[in-house]
Amino acid sequence: MSGKELPKQEKRRWGRIETNIADLVSGVKENKFSSIARAISMVEDEDPLLRKDILRKIGTSATKAHVIGITGPPGIGKSTLIGNLSSGMMARGITNGVLAIDASSPFTGGSLLGNRIRMQDKLRESHVFMRSLANRGEKGGLSRSAIGAVRILESAGNQEIIIETVGAGQADLDIMNLADTIVLVLAPGLGDEIQAIKAGIMEISHIFVINKMDREGAYFAMKDIEDIVSMDDHSGWKRPVVGTTSNDNDSYNGLIDAILSHRKYLEMSNSLSVKRRYMELETALEDEINETITSKLKKKLLEEYVSGKGMGHDRLDDDPFSIAEDLLKNFLEYSIE
Amino acid sequence: MEDHKGFWHSKLREASERNSSSKDESLEKWRKNTLEPWEEKTGYKPREFINSSGIEIKDVYTKSDLPEDQEKFLGLPGEYPFTRGVYPNMYRGKEWTMRMFSGFGTPEDTNARLKYLISHGETGLSIAFDMPTLYAYDCDNKRADGEIGKCGVNVSSLKDMEVIFDGIDLSKVTTSMTINAPAAVLTAMYFSIARKQGLSLDKIGGTVQADILKEYIAQKEWIYPPEAHIRIIRDMMIYCTENVPRWNYISISGYHIREAGSSAVQELAFTLADGFYYVEMGKKAGLDVDQFAPRLSFFFNSSINFFEEIAKMRAARRIWATALKEKYGAKSKRAMMLRFHTQTSGYTLTWQQPHINIVRTAFEGLAAVLGGTQSLHTNSYDEAMALPSEEAVKVALRTQQIIAEETGVTDTVDPLAGSYYVEWLTNRIEEEAYRYFDKIESMGGILEAVKSGYIQREIATTSYRRQKRIEEGKEVMVGANKYVESEEKPINILRIPGEAQERQIKRLNEVKATRDGKRVAETLERLRKAMEDPDKNIMPFLIDAVESYATLEEISNVGREVYGGWKEPIII
Amino acid sequence: MAAGKNQSSSKQRPPKILLAKPGIDGHDRGVLVLARAFRDAGMEVLYAGLLPTPEEVIDTAVNEDVDVIAMSLLNGAHLTVFKRVADLMKERGIDDIALVGGGTIPEEDKPALEALGITGNYGPGTPLSTIIEHVRKRAAEAREKKMGQD
Repeated sequence: MSGKELPKQEKRRWGRIETNIADLVSGVKENKFSSIARAISMVEDEDPLLRKDILRKIGTSATKAHVIGITGPPGIGKSTLIGNLSSGMMARGITNGVLAIDASSPFTGGSLLGNRIRMQDKLRESHVFMRSLANRGEKGGLSRSAIGAVRILESAGNQEIIIETVGAGQADLDIMNLADTIVLVLAPGLGDEIQAIKAGIMEISHIFVINKMDREGAYFAMKDIEDIVSMDDHSGWKRPVVGTTSNDNDSYNGLIDAILSHRKYLEMSNSLSVKRRYMELETALEDEINETITSKLKKKLLEEYVSGKGMGHDRLDDDPFSIAEDLLKNFLEYSIE
Repeated sequence: MEDHKGFWHSKLREASERNSSSKDESLEKWRKNTLEPWEEKTGYKPREFINSSGIEIKDVYTKSDLPEDQEKFLGLPGEYPFTRGVYPNMYRGKEWTMRMFSGFGTPEDTNARLKYLISHGETGLSIAFDMPTLYAYDCDNKRADGEIGKCGVNVSSLKDMEVIFDGIDLSKVTTSMTINAPAAVLTAMYFSIARKQGLSLDKIGGTVQADILKEYIAQKEWIYPPEAHIRIIRDMMIYCTENVPRWNYISISGYHIREAGSSAVQELAFTLADGFYYVEMGKKAGLDVDQFAPRLSFFFNSSINFFEEIAKMRAARRIWATALKEKYGAKSKRAMMLRFHTQTSGYTLTWQQPHINIVRTAFEGLAAVLGGTQSLHTNSYDEAMALPSEEAVKVALRTQQIIAEETGVTDTVDPLAGSYYVEWLTNRIEEEAYRYFDKIESMGGILEAVKSGYIQREIATTSYRRQKRIEEGKEVMVGANKYVESEEKPINILRIPGEAQERQIKRLNEVKATRDGKRVAETLERLRKAMEDPDKNIMPFLIDAVESYATLEEISNVGREVYGGWKEPIII
Repeated sequence: MAAGKNQSSSKQRPPKILLAKPGIDGHDRGVLVLARAFRDAGMEVLYAGLLPTPEEVIDTAVNEDVDVIAMSLLNGAHLTVFKRVADLMKERGIDDIALVGGGTIPEEDKPALEALGITGNYGPGTPLSTIIEHVRKRAAEAREKKMGQD
């Protein structure tokens, strides 16, 4: 996508972090796709030091991004919808980037990242950066990658960041915590699938889309959802229901309007990015605790063991686990008092 | 369709009831007294016997595996439901048509190959086109670079077709053109050549594939969204029904579905489901089913599991006849008859030890004949590597001639009828096809099932499963995963020289320089108007455009502007 | 898997592969099988869909930061089209994404492709395990280049 903008022989590597991270960061800030791509790889590799390094250098950005989570059952046309939504926003001068999440196999760690096909042409035409992220099923793993990727896309000057998820499971809900605005995509004739969705995601969605409005039963599907939201109490936000049709570009304007008006609503109530900042802090803390406290504490307890302080006697013959348990217990009791 | 809601559901129920085999006490006794002691004595190790469709095969079949009223589902040859063949005397009366697929490089090369085959006794012409032609890109398009003439002949304008058929009297041959997305344009070109030869359109005969549904399912060669192609095919159907009585405008093809990795049942079910769609389309367009259904022909694959293929073809005839009669209200026998062309499987061929492919092809060809095919293409042994050489094509043709004239399998009609196994398998495959029809019906029809990617995913799953079975040695491919030879000698293969591209571009430039540009613009503008108006028939406008020497891509670009393009659903 | 996180400070994501048919060619049985096979071998797999241009394939590869582009063509145009991909990569200075080829590629075409850095060039009937092993090796090399000093 960045074909024309790329200078020849542009340095793409980031391995030589000492020398190149500055280039990489300035590349991100210039919205250079190859730099954005490599920076996201860095946060995807589960090396907390690297991740911290790059995200720190990227820092907070002048443009504040609004994160849109798009979810809904498989086969509902989310990818096509995102292609149209994204290019529709670009046409209005609203810069945006897209992240698509796919699930990994819990057994092999492999994954099929299939979401690109139906949106890539539109995104390429509109010069939108898109990246697929695998949900590797590790606790917190995806949210870390996604949080970092959102930060990077924000720093590249995107006003809107669209995240597509597969619409199932805990990892999905985690991602939805990152989103300021959750858009639930449905289609006529879903029946059972709607019932299944109602359970969780329905409650937390801010906007409903009935996709494939050209299909039979669209009107009733829309009416169904309108009936549900009419009894809503969503802290002052009246949840809109909008219709889209893939071959009708104009139909996406309604969705864009709804998204922008939710953004406005969040801004007015000072709640834009609040959840995201909280998640960022949460993972940062976890990383800090893991990397800093863990190693410091380990060092201190080992010193105590060697010096015999707090242990009373030499326990050379004990099993290491009981010693470790005692050391920690002693320390916690001591420090909490 | 509305008045037949659940038609397939009830058919499925009937079939599964019929196929639940009754208890056979003498067989149980045999198992206990004869089989088990034998297995014990010989140290038999149980293993899996399944065919490509995952149907489990029993050790022995008896009368108890067939329904009481089995005869009712067989009929006699040439009679409903045509399980035993569409013609009363089959090959005793007339051999099948030996139709060898050809076409490569430039139109001149293809013209020479066609003349060669005619002189060797081939009874029908069959033309393959290269990829740019199949996707309606001219030879000078940047995307087509390196692909001209590689997988078939290149046609960019009417001029190329004139060269292909130079010196061939279209009233003396029938031509089958393997083309789908741009089928209407190529058809228009063929009609135009006939007119130039002074022939009226009722004097020519042939087939275009024009089976667009299987493109979205398997071959993946499309230009526009499905609805646009369907509309164009509808126009061609109406035009030819009225004007070209010997033109078979749709050859509903399972071949590619199978080559894409499907099972025999999937090939059968998805192909017939496509066929039903076209019948419904014709009816919706106001055509009389007894008039247009006889023009629909089929194209099946004959793969390596011998009896499964035969059973598939016999089941196909029965299902089609049943549906046409019961669901679509056909009255004439011809409308209920499923006639088909067969090609042996390319997928089963190996590049290792290529000459053993001759043997595979012979068995597959034999299965097609025992399955009652109307015409047959036998693959050449070098086909796993590249386009066939002349020598390899001759061997393939001789293979058919041996089946026809030496083996004696044609002496009687449907020689396998009454075989417990074959009849049981025919019944089972029919039932499994009904299972798919029922599912497709519940999804809102084949078009929805294809657009959502359901059909494609089913095939991809089967294909991967088979690949893994081969990998694990559960399925044998001689020469590839068993009886492998350490040193393989490369065979002599046909290469398409790069000049094909240059020559084609040169001719295209000449065409563009000498045609009447104003006329081209006018015919294209009229075509656009016709395309925008769904009540118009675009065929006459296509013929005009073709005759003004508008190129294939120029013509198709009008459609691209009117209808847009298409991206496949996500199936990985 | 989860246990590895604290022990190694630089746990890497799995090899990331882009499957592509950069030409006018709808024969996708092979790539669809490979997509699943690569996934089952623990890789992250992207598929560029049908009919992408070489430019589109490279853009996708860059944005997704893949390790390998695995190209398949069964239409005989590999010498032209694979070469165009390799040339474009060179032009853009991309040297840390490996190119692997496959399809109906005659033996005598292989040296020319190898010279362009396109390896493998497997024909139909090649065991999946052979292809997987090769792709994994090439992915590791590419990753090494991405990470390494030079």
